Amino acid sequence: MQIEFNTHDTGYIVAIQGSVDALTSPQLTETLNREIQNGHHFLIVDLSQVEFMSSAGLRAILGALKGSRQNGGDLRLAAAQPAVEKVLQISGFTSILKTYPSVEEALESLKH
Amino acid sequence: MIEHCQIARAAEFESLSDFRDFIKTTCAGQAGIDDQTCYDLQLAVDEACTNIITHGYAGMNPGTIILSMEIFSDQVRLTITDFGQPFEPSETPAPDLQAIMEDQEDSGFGLFFIYQTMDDIQYQTSEAGNQLVFIKKLLPGDESQT
Repeated sequence: MQIEFNTHDTGYIVAIQGSVDALTSPQLTETLNREIQNGHHFLIVDLSQVEFMSSAGLRAILGALKGSRQNGGDLRLAAAQPAVEKVLQISGFTSILKTYPSVEEALESLKH
Repeated sequence: MIEHCQIARAAEFESLSDFRDFIKTTCAGQAGIDDQTCYDLQLAVDEACTNIITHGYAGMNPGTIILSMEIFSDQVRLTITDFGQPFEPSETPAPDLQAIMEDQEDSGFGLFFIYQTMDDIQYQTSEAGNQLVFIKKLLPGDESQT
């Protein structure tokens, strides 16, 4: 798994590449927590290059969602591939956070 | 039976990607197994093996996990064998995300995903090890998919 960052006017994009499982999720948790502590409270997690995500990855995202909202921000997901999108839906994630078909639409949503 | 393959790896998180790759490779080109079905199989096995590594072999030297995959015309049968502490899975309700976010409960995601994605789940334990069997039915009419 690789994680890249991109600062934008309206939000901070965290782009994940590869698989998020029990092996790699601690790295994701640590990275997201660090970015929130560094003041990036509005996060967009770009899932377009995530080929697999297990419950371990969802827990990492859930923790970061909590951290961002505790700091007055939010975490939004973008561009999930269909199979990952299904995981988000059956777990109920789509009812507690916002998901968007593309990073551009997620960024646009933060303007409102 | 169309195909029968098997892989054995150490019970450690580093092996999870090997199990997923094994399933993907075995599914490739098989009639009736589309990308979503393959992902469901990968997800259920990943969650089950994570539980075995975390709980089954807790306090023990990491043992072995054997994954066997049998493909029939109407279903896929996955058998996960381990030699750790027995743990019989049971169906769990949908996770309460709000409670998890408030740190009020453990997630329970893994078992929930297994029961959401597999059509039948069987478990037995003996001196020969613990065997967890997943059945995933293949939809008729998907034969054209590869």
